[in-house]
Amino acid sequence: MHSATFLIWKKIPFVPILLIVFLTLNSYGQQQVTVTGAVTSKDDGAPLPGVAVTIKNTNQGVATDADGKFSIRTSLGSTLVLKALGFAPQEVSVTSQKLSIVMESSKSDLNEVVVIGYGTVRKKDLTGAIANIKGADIKAQGVSDVTKSLQGRLPGVTIESAGGNPGAGTRILIRGVGTLGDAAPLYIVDGVQVPSINNLSQLDIQSIDVLKDASAAAIYGSRAANGVVLVTTRNGKSGPPVVQVNANYGIQNLAHRVDVLNAEQWANVSNAAHDAGGLTRLDIAQNPSSLGAGTDWQDVIYRTAPVQQYQILTSGGGDKGTYSISGSYTDQQGIVTVTGYKRYNFRAKSETTKGRFRFGETVLLTREKTINMAGGWGGQGGNPVGSAAKMIPVFQVYDSSALGGFAGAYGPVVNVANPLAQLHLEDINTTSSNVLTNVFGEVTIIPGLTYKLNMGYTANFTTDEDYQKRHTVGTLFTHATNDLSLTKEETQLLLLENTLNYSKTFGKSSIQALAGYTYQKTDYSYLLNARTDLPDGLRNIDAGRGTSTNQGNGLESALLSTLGRLIYSYDDRYLLTASFRRDGSSRFGAAYRYGNFPSVAAGWNISNEKFFSSLTSAIPVLKLRASYGILGNQQIDDYQYSAVISSNINYVTGQEQQKWFGAIQTAFATPNIKWESTKTSNVGVDAAFLKGRLTLTADYFVKTTSDVLLNVPIPGSTGSISDPVVNAGRLRNNGFELGLGYADHAGKLNYSVFGTFSRVKNKVLELGTGSQKIFGGQPTHHGASSTLTEAGGPISAFYLIKADGIFNSQEEIDAYAKNGALIQPNAAPGDIKFQDTNGDGQISDEDKVYAGSPFPSFEYGFGITANYQHFDLNAIFQGTHGNKIYNGLRQDLESMSLEFNYSTATLNAWTPEKHTDIPRAVTGDPNINDRTSTRFLESGSYLRMKTLQIGYTIGDPLKNKLKISSLRAYVSADNLFTITNYTGYNPDLGRTGSIFDRGVDFGHVAYPIARTLSVGLQLTL
Amino acid sequence: MKNIIIFIAAASLALGCKKSTLELLNPNQLTTETYWKTETDVQSALAATYGLLRDVNGGFWGVRGIETSNGRGDDFFIRNDVATLYQLSTFTNTPDNGPVNDMWNTCYRAIFRANQIMENVDKVSELSADAKAAYVAEAKFLRGLNYFILAINFGDAPINLKTAATKDDYFVAKSPEADVWAQAKQDFTDAAAGLPVAYDKQWVGRATRGAAIAYLGKAQLYTKDWPGAATTLAKLTTAPFNYQLMPQYGDNFVVAHENNQESVFEIQLGDVGGTDPWAGENSAQALGVTTAQEFAPAEVAGWFEVSPTDKLFNEFKKEKTVDNDFDPRMYATLIWDYPGATFYTKPFTSFKLIFGYSSMFKKYQNYTQKDEITGASGASNYTSSNNERALRYDDVLLMLAEALTMQGKPGEAYPFVKQIRDRAKLAPLTAGLTQDQMMAEIRHQRMLEFAREGQRFYDLKRWGLLKQEITNSDKVGKQFYVAGKHDYFPVPQQEMNSNPKMVQNSHW
Repeated sequence: MHSATFLIWKKIPFVPILLIVFLTLNSYGQQQVTVTGAVTSKDDGAPLPGVAVTIKNTNQGVATDADGKFSIRTSLGSTLVLKALGFAPQEVSVTSQKLSIVMESSKSDLNEVVVIGYGTVRKKDLTGAIANIKGADIKAQGVSDVTKSLQGRLPGVTIESAGGNPGAGTRILIRGVGTLGDAAPLYIVDGVQVPSINNLSQLDIQSIDVLKDASAAAIYGSRAANGVVLVTTRNGKSGPPVVQVNANYGIQNLAHRVDVLNAEQWANVSNAAHDAGGLTRLDIAQNPSSLGAGTDWQDVIYRTAPVQQYQILTSGGGDKGTYSISGSYTDQQGIVTVTGYKRYNFRAKSETTKGRFRFGETVLLTREKTINMAGGWGGQGGNPVGSAAKMIPVFQVYDSSALGGFAGAYGPVVNVANPLAQLHLEDINTTSSNVLTNVFGEVTIIPGLTYKLNMGYTANFTTDEDYQKRHTVGTLFTHATNDLSLTKEETQLLLLENTLNYSKTFGKSSIQALAGYTYQKTDYSYLLNARTDLPDGLRNIDAGRGTSTNQGNGLESALLSTLGRLIYSYDDRYLLTASFRRDGSSRFGAAYRYGNFPSVAAGWNISNEKFFSSLTSAIPVLKLRASYGILGNQQIDDYQYSAVISSNINYVTGQEQQKWFGAIQTAFATPNIKWESTKTSNVGVDAAFLKGRLTLTADYFVKTTSDVLLNVPIPGSTGSISDPVVNAGRLRNNGFELGLGYADHAGKLNYSVFGTFSRVKNKVLELGTGSQKIFGGQPTHHGASSTLTEAGGPISAFYLIKADGIFNSQEEIDAYAKNGALIQPNAAPGDIKFQDTNGDGQISDEDKVYAGSPFPSFEYGFGITANYQHFDLNAIFQGTHGNKIYNGLRQDLESMSLEFNYSTATLNAWTPEKHTDIPRAVTGDPNINDRTSTRFLESGSYLRMKTLQIGYTIGDPLKNKLKISSLRAYVSADNLFTITNYTGYNPDLGRTGSIFDRGVDFGHVAYPIARTLSVGLQLTL
Repeated sequence: MKNIIIFIAAASLALGCKKSTLELLNPNQLTTETYWKTETDVQSALAATYGLLRDVNGGFWGVRGIETSNGRGDDFFIRNDVATLYQLSTFTNTPDNGPVNDMWNTCYRAIFRANQIMENVDKVSELSADAKAAYVAEAKFLRGLNYFILAINFGDAPINLKTAATKDDYFVAKSPEADVWAQAKQDFTDAAAGLPVAYDKQWVGRATRGAAIAYLGKAQLYTKDWPGAATTLAKLTTAPFNYQLMPQYGDNFVVAHENNQESVFEIQLGDVGGTDPWAGENSAQALGVTTAQEFAPAEVAGWFEVSPTDKLFNEFKKEKTVDNDFDPRMYATLIWDYPGATFYTKPFTSFKLIFGYSSMFKKYQNYTQKDEITGASGASNYTSSNNERALRYDDVLLMLAEALTMQGKPGEAYPFVKQIRDRAKLAPLTAGLTQDQMMAEIRHQRMLEFAREGQRFYDLKRWGLLKQEITNSDKVGKQFYVAGKHDYFPVPQQEMNSNPKMVQNSHW
């Protein structure tokens, strides 16, 4: 029934219809009286405005007025529920028609339950470092990806955008980079491992708990070294059905564009550069003044794009069972034309109790379709975003006589494609269907002892389609036939978990024990089918007349684990947690298959001590925590321990020139690779001050990772086509993180403020051969690496040749000599002087110097939530400080060496008459002014207003008339502004992939972020 | 009660997993233990070694290889499109140059694979001793050829004669250039002893005894072992060998005359694999090269990455044929604006010369097609199936002539030079040339005969004429040439970074 309703609502604008339906519904009559009440604060006796007063098990409620008074129709004997920010919720029986209610400020939220692996624990019993957020506190609505709205919210959790592409997710790092390979955390949704949580619907989330230290995460043993993100989806609650409907519509615009030359300006710079290089001017630049502005390629591809989201959730339950069912639809068009993302979510979750049994399940279905940009045609221009910056403005957009209808570059210029042609002539889309199911059954064997069988299954079916329409775009890009390539991928994960739980309280002691045995198997298969020469208009493989290409392969991996945990609490004062997990992984050879991951933690609730009792009213919470443990990581490809024969390395032979099948070992394997392990020590404090209004959580940690699993670069002279995975070294991360909250009210204004602060420092202690250097961060199509990782230094630090100003005269060039020989013999006045760091008389990679780190010295977030009568406000800021970004796109656009468009900065290029800090324009660039150097390294610090949201909740008279529980309308702005000195699209880079590319803005693969303005409605029936 | 039974059943099922559940074998690939069982395995290993010769990134006869080997020549221009190629052609390259790095790596990949064949062929019990010896000889030829490429490009280089067994074996110091040459010569010598003179039809194109002898002679010539080179190369002029020049020089560069009588070693290319030249080593990879498409003019969907210099153009014009026409080799090598000139079925006048040079390369271009983007199937195809003739009999003749001349016997060089001149319809050479005069003639002939075939720069280097000939050319970037430094490529930065035992070449 619910799902059927959902399906219909998905198709039509259902919010207005719902309103009409409920406007016409009659209320049900009952014997009721008017109850009035006054609510005051226990601290100071002041009246409390804005307290939500609802009748228990109904949707009816009111809020207190400015004098803390309320009036509500209910029956005697019913129960009222009072809730207010900063105060403990309270239930009051209606014993008379006049009530006087005193609310106590909340002793923070320590009574709430926190999700830990294979169970929950009361926050006050917690000994590990966990950051969490409730679904209700996730505010941003104008983004399709829920994780984006977590930026800055969780101390110790770094969330970076994975690009502005619609549907692109985020990269989450917990406590820095603990490994040099895949540093992504383990994601668990309702007990089942998933590859990412980007496709979850915001309304479905009840809580997100991030396990940061060993004590919290060790129960997950494998892969827990990078932290664990536990997502719990919403449960139903006993009581009448609740229906929630959210609708959001927004528009997105390019937040920041790069400034490049117009046609006339470009021609002038190009001519100057050719003259300086002694080369003939380009034909197309012959007559600059006749060219005018030309084509603004960024205008051509960027657009104002709508984004809309609709979500509906219905939940409820009785004594023996609860349910929660939800559906959502997201449609986000990209700010780059053509691109877009659509998602359908459906979720059902229920739980039933029968005698000593308890059963439950979660079913989560997602279907996503993403329309992506083409990659780089011919390589040199990059994707359409890169091409739009680099395409020479002299060229036209359309050519109706050309096959495909687009004009393009011609003449001796770099192969940069018309970006609009790329977008329209190559359709690259991904359709992905996801199934997540989790079913459990639990039996209480004796009181306190339960056995639980949990079976999880996830399946992902992804189809990638790449269809190239035949075209001729200018003279550089010709594709004679329509070609289609289809890739199908299927990943299935099966999880079986048997756990025994025992909890018992005796005297002042309470224990909670867990033992378990789990098995997990992943199967992956890949199939590619491509064919060339399809008739126009047909897009199936069968229609193709040309060459076929087929590929297929599969992967399997398995984990087998035993686990145990004991949580002991004495008198709510002394807490001890010990856990152990033993994992076996198919990714290692027989001798190295198993890893043991123990942890131990202790906590002391000082505020519960007798000697502290005089202080408890001022400092209601003071807890110290300490933990130590070992976590594992096995995030490498399957089968890395065995040397294999690669096949289909073919050649041609014979008079008839037939295919000769080839196969041989092409790379080395490391048979003795073993688990990577991370030892984490953590000390932390939780405290609440000012009668609980101010809360604080602070943690300090040291993480040491040994046997880091990494593809360590080996010399090309070995003949291996790739680098083997080895246990390559040791890393250390240490850091400090702080979360602060303050909630209070001033008159009718209720507000709360939060702040997060994280500081992580990393250091490579040992690496590879000892003197091993790992370079990374290629910034441009042909550019040299910009980062270096080596023992003794930080991970992926910028090591660059130092640009040291400009030679203003030949004398300066001549003076820059070593033993009579010029250090830069190819230089002319106006070229850049590079520092000969090692003093060998020439400029080479040996002259690189440490130039900064892609990791911030600290990152932070802060925000405020406030409400005043019917209005509410949410403002969230987030930023980083002290990190550097290598601006690869600028390296291209300021070079003036190659034949594409340039940055407006080049208008200010050095000339003999005008000495500036931009080098002279010269085609060919004999001094290599555009080499990878400190010239293109910029500060990456930024402060961004992540979200600003203003809401209005309708008042009681209207609400009662509409017979609804609540209705809120809001306007929201995402990425409203960013304060930064970084000149690229976005300082929050969004480059995924290798850790060694961190902080390197490679213009070819970028998709700039959008500024989004949206309006929305949130309705609860 | 029922429920409890279901529980226990399910639980025991779940608990029933054994440790062997973690023993998951790679379902896609054989392991090194299960390979090397049949003759086909050995042949497949050879194919995987040959294939690297035309690898799109690093193969010496792939497109980057052709650009890298020719790019520094005084007869060659590379346009300012692919920055790393432009840099090496204008002598502004740095050790992190990608194509140079790829050339180095690809040579060593081939050496690694050749070593595997030598080490494992004994495991194949079905092979006779003779068959094993022939396969080892073939592997040695391929290894020798890659050391040859390393020697001419890098000079000093690591020598690996075994596959790395442990991690420590990954790091090998470089050996002096002389040792690299010695290894190449040894491999060619061994190969010549074990290889057949010819293959049956199915296997035409694999390395023959003649190929091994020719490369041995070439290596001897490069190392100035004149008597050795003369002796070695002379073998190819007599039985059992039957090499002859093609009557028409231009037939050496068209698909219709692949593996012809003049061909000594030829890189086999064909449109019989996948469709993607950049797919990497898998079934999607095209088995041709993209060189023709990259070199073709824009008018026929090419990327016009290179151009002949006018120095080459003018060199061709120096001597006309006996019919007072241009050298037929000029017509086969270049296309320019002459009466009746057609290119890709169009009059040459419909093409534009955009670099200020007077001609375009025609050699190895598929100029009888309508463009360079249409493959055999009619579908878009960047690759060319036109075999690269790595070593021809005309090279043998000119090398032999040089080896004799350099021994002070220019008179003995006449018959070999004559064959070259006769085919080019040039008048007979004046009798009685001195050694220097004969060398000048040989140098001139080599420049014309092998234009765009990756010989000019290396010839100039071994003749000690790089500085002079680059300086007197119209090559872009000639002013940045530094004698000594640019004669060799630097050790690639990636190798420097990952090999603690590596030392950079001098001048770099």
